[in-house]
Amino acid sequence: MALFEIENLTYFYPECDTPALKNINLHIEEGELLLIAGGSGSGKSSLARLLAGLIPDFYGGKLAGRVLFRGKKLSELGPRLLNTQVGIVFQDPEQQLVMTTVEAEIAFGLENLGLPQGEMFRRLAEVMGFLGLTSLKQEFTANLSGGQKQKVALASVLAMNPRVLILDEPTSQLDPLTADEFFNLVERLNKEMGYTVVLIEQRLERCFHLADRLAIMEGGKILRSGPVREVARWEAENSLPFLPPVAKFFAMLRAPALPLTVKEGRKELKKLYPSPPAPEKDQARPARLLPVPATRQDKRVVEAKNLWFTYPNGKEALKGVSLRVNRGEFAVIIGENAAGKTTLLKQLAGLLKPGRGRVLVMGKDTRTTALPELARRVGYLAQNPNTCLFQDTVEAELRFTLDNLGLEDGGVIDDVLKRLGLLPYRQTNPRDLSSGERQRVALAALLVAKPALLILDEPTRGVDCRLKKELGSCLAGLVREGLTVLMVTHDMEFAAEYAKRIIMLFDGRIVSDGSKHEVLGNSLFYSPQIARLFGGTVDGVLTVEEGLEKISANGELSPCLATKAGL
Amino acid sequence: MSGHKSRSLAVFLITGMLVAGMLTATILTKSWSLFTITILGAALFFFYMDFEYSPASAREIGLIAVLGTIAAVGRVPFSALPGIQPVTFMVITTGFVFGPRAGFMVGSTAAVVSNFFLGQGPWTPWQMLSWGLAGTTAGLVRNRWPRPGSAGRVLFCFAWGYLYGWIMNTWFWTAFVHPLTWKSFLATWAASFWFDTLHALGNAGFYLILGPRMIKVLARFQKKLQVELSDP
Amino acid sequence: MLEHLFYEDKGVLLQNLHSTAILGYLAVFFTLALLFSHPLYLAGIFLVGALAVVTAEALEKWEAYLKAGLWMALLVMLINPLVFHAGKTVIWRSPALPLLGNVSICLEAICYGAAMGIRLLAVLTIFCLASAVVHPDKFLSLFSRFAYKSALVVSLATRMLPAAARELANAREMLQLRGVDFAAGNLKERLKKYSRLLDILLLASLEGALQTAEAMQARAFGSGPRSCYRRELWRPRDLLCLTAGCLALVFSCYARVKGYGDYNYYLQLGVLVPNPASLILLAGILGSLALPLVLSWGWKHWPYLRLKI
Repeated sequence: MALFEIENLTYFYPECDTPALKNINLHIEEGELLLIAGGSGSGKSSLARLLAGLIPDFYGGKLAGRVLFRGKKLSELGPRLLNTQVGIVFQDPEQQLVMTTVEAEIAFGLENLGLPQGEMFRRLAEVMGFLGLTSLKQEFTANLSGGQKQKVALASVLAMNPRVLILDEPTSQLDPLTADEFFNLVERLNKEMGYTVVLIEQRLERCFHLADRLAIMEGGKILRSGPVREVARWEAENSLPFLPPVAKFFAMLRAPALPLTVKEGRKELKKLYPSPPAPEKDQARPARLLPVPATRQDKRVVEAKNLWFTYPNGKEALKGVSLRVNRGEFAVIIGENAAGKTTLLKQLAGLLKPGRGRVLVMGKDTRTTALPELARRVGYLAQNPNTCLFQDTVEAELRFTLDNLGLEDGGVIDDVLKRLGLLPYRQTNPRDLSSGERQRVALAALLVAKPALLILDEPTRGVDCRLKKELGSCLAGLVREGLTVLMVTHDMEFAAEYAKRIIMLFDGRIVSDGSKHEVLGNSLFYSPQIARLFGGTVDGVLTVEEGLEKISANGELSPCLATKAGL
Repeated sequence: MSGHKSRSLAVFLITGMLVAGMLTATILTKSWSLFTITILGAALFFFYMDFEYSPASAREIGLIAVLGTIAAVGRVPFSALPGIQPVTFMVITTGFVFGPRAGFMVGSTAAVVSNFFLGQGPWTPWQMLSWGLAGTTAGLVRNRWPRPGSAGRVLFCFAWGYLYGWIMNTWFWTAFVHPLTWKSFLATWAASFWFDTLHALGNAGFYLILGPRMIKVLARFQKKLQVELSDP
Repeated sequence: MLEHLFYEDKGVLLQNLHSTAILGYLAVFFTLALLFSHPLYLAGIFLVGALAVVTAEALEKWEAYLKAGLWMALLVMLINPLVFHAGKTVIWRSPALPLLGNVSICLEAICYGAAMGIRLLAVLTIFCLASAVVHPDKFLSLFSRFAYKSALVVSLATRMLPAAARELANAREMLQLRGVDFAAGNLKERLKKYSRLLDILLLASLEGALQTAEAMQARAFGSGPRSCYRRELWRPRDLLCLTAGCLALVFSCYARVKGYGDYNYYLQLGVLVPNPASLILLAGILGSLALPLVLSWGWKHWPYLRLKI
């Protein structure tokens, strides 16, 4: 008997005419790791809530069909039994913690279950030991890092001793390193502790190989579910985007095997390149530092000269950063957390003023120029677009910027809306739009001021691959028209695809700056998956397309040409 | 529901007994500051117990906490303008929309929570009570007159600028001033007059600018607090 | 400003006490400050409070309290002579003023004002101490047993506040870069700009309330009778501190009954030390109040004591 059986299930949220889940049939076996992929709004989260019993208990709405847990209807289990069998970790680390210290947080669920003191002690000890949280016991939960918060959320669910773990995009707000750590935990829980795991994820390249089965969702329906390789191949045939780059690459090559990891991929690649070229003589070729081309003054959009900055709390965030960005560049800043990336962006936008050194925006010193005047030249989009939208219509949102900066409309609103594909939503409330559309509205509200420089702080965080593609091509289009884009991202695949220049920051200093092939190609750990696949075999490959080009240039492989044509 | 009622009765009784005991003690020691503190403690105890025995769902608790947080966070960017802060206005608006109980909780939560970060003082319980009462009375006003005019609400916000000051003064007055006469009360009142006036003006200003819009937003959200299950 | 708790872990003994012990001790401290009116008693309590702040390594935080406190104390000293004129020792008599008539400033009222000013500073010091040594979680855990919903609301809001503060700062920056100048304009215009910030914060946070509620429900909130997790340990030091507090309270009650703690300001100043027993009792009270501070000092500098308490 399967652990979960969902039969002919259809669900409507309250006051909604379109079903969030449509005729779902799904079995989940004991002990397996089921990966669910799909775009935003595909019903993945609704499915997670259904399995956790939050639909319909918490949400209400209309439900048809049945959900069986070990052969029993979910609604007949009662909340207490259900909560001890199924645990769920949500997407946003900010919203799921309730207590002020880590220890109290983990105990919260146990208190709700009415467990005796001794039992609570035992469970807390085990969970904190397993997840390495003991040293954080007394920490104030609000000041933990995102990764720690997610770990605490996982711990508080594990303490309730469930058999099934449902993880609803648990890493979408984390940086790659922390996300990897989280996936390692998930793998251990599944493989060594025997938990059944339902994982919903966007970062497929990091968790694809962990899954036993894969389900693809779209529009509230499960398009297909089954063993990972089988579904992956089916996806490749139907050109669906929910594949890690390595798998996508080989699927496009129509290779007989479908590798899911870099290791498997390199094995396959050897078959295509039977004799890998001998390693070049100077293996330890040093990366060129700061290859700043000499440019005429008028081409410089923003320039930082020996910039130092220390926060009032004493943290020295920038240590002698020199940087020049020219018109029409698409530059990406990468680096670990707290490397000073956001501080640098704020400095370049004029929100923070240099301690020592200077920042020149279009030749104007940020220390002496008023912020509203800088705002006409620089657009800055913070991490969370929710905090910048507040008007009742999209148009009003754009007009707000114009009015404040004392600019005339003159058709610029129409123009920007059209360019970002927002014309149909002109009179819509921004809050009724999807997250991707909201982000574009926030972008549009900056672009109406016709800035020369657009600065974005992690616009790819928590964004699914389709929206990422949209954002990327939108930005690339703007750059072609002469806009300069400078952004921070943790998404190396995105950087490899769209950026031209990469700047790597570490501990408040620029440690590497150059074209993307120079920086990402030579990077040890910041390289995208395809670069790792081709590492040591062919140089200068960062994306699936580049890989396909290189392969098809290698004339011996005739099937590739056919694939290329099929793109 | 009857269990709920009998429990609130017990709460009443306990509160009453505590107050009576403390009052006897204060009369014996003739300390007016202890007397006001007793009344304050009893009032806070009563309001909190009332909330404790209400059937508050997870959604309501989440909402109250969020509104309390927003009110609390508003205290800082405004501290440059003396006397002007949006807490009173936020609390009153909450009371208008969600009723007396939520109004009290949002007000008192904003006070105690912001002081966890700014530092607690003898003013904390008084702020809890004043802001709590602002929310409660707003809720009561709504229950009595469901559709007051905008002018009435602005006046209400304005009045609470002064009321807040008076409640806050009470403790200062009883603990540090002698003798406790109308004259000395007026003197303390005069000392805080400008501060209170700014507060009242700020409240009215906030209501005029943001009030109707916020009430609309909160009322729309109120619908989401109920869970409705229906068969297809 | 709102991103970090006022409480900071300094690893001093006063921060490592059981919540009952430390809150009991502080409550006694506070009650005594309100109970006495004798200037020597008030000054003594203020002094021990100051020592406690030093022991708790919270001098920096105390500064802010003192700044606010001195203004308030000044106000107290001003109001009292203004409203009470019947003292015997008149220092200055004003000419006839409109509304007020002849105002006479008398020494007794000034002395009373000064004593009350000290009381105010003492009370502020005690609250500063409380904020510096009691973690909000400790405070809330005291209430969670009989008022868990209220305690939950408070802890939830405490947890959310730093994030909300960050969000507010972000929104402010975003608006600045869209041309809003927060420093410009008259009061009404500024109010308008700040209202906009509030509006943004409200819209951005409300949905979060539902997500939090959902997470709570997923963790069995409201699924039936609940239990209460206690993790605090009771150690000898807690007993010692609580005993010290009780001792101080007993001495004080005795002093109060004997009338030593009171001082006659009106209509004429009384004798400061009517009999030596008054001073001995004061020493007893202050000594008991200072006992936890001595322990705290010893705990830090004397490993043997650390071992035993």
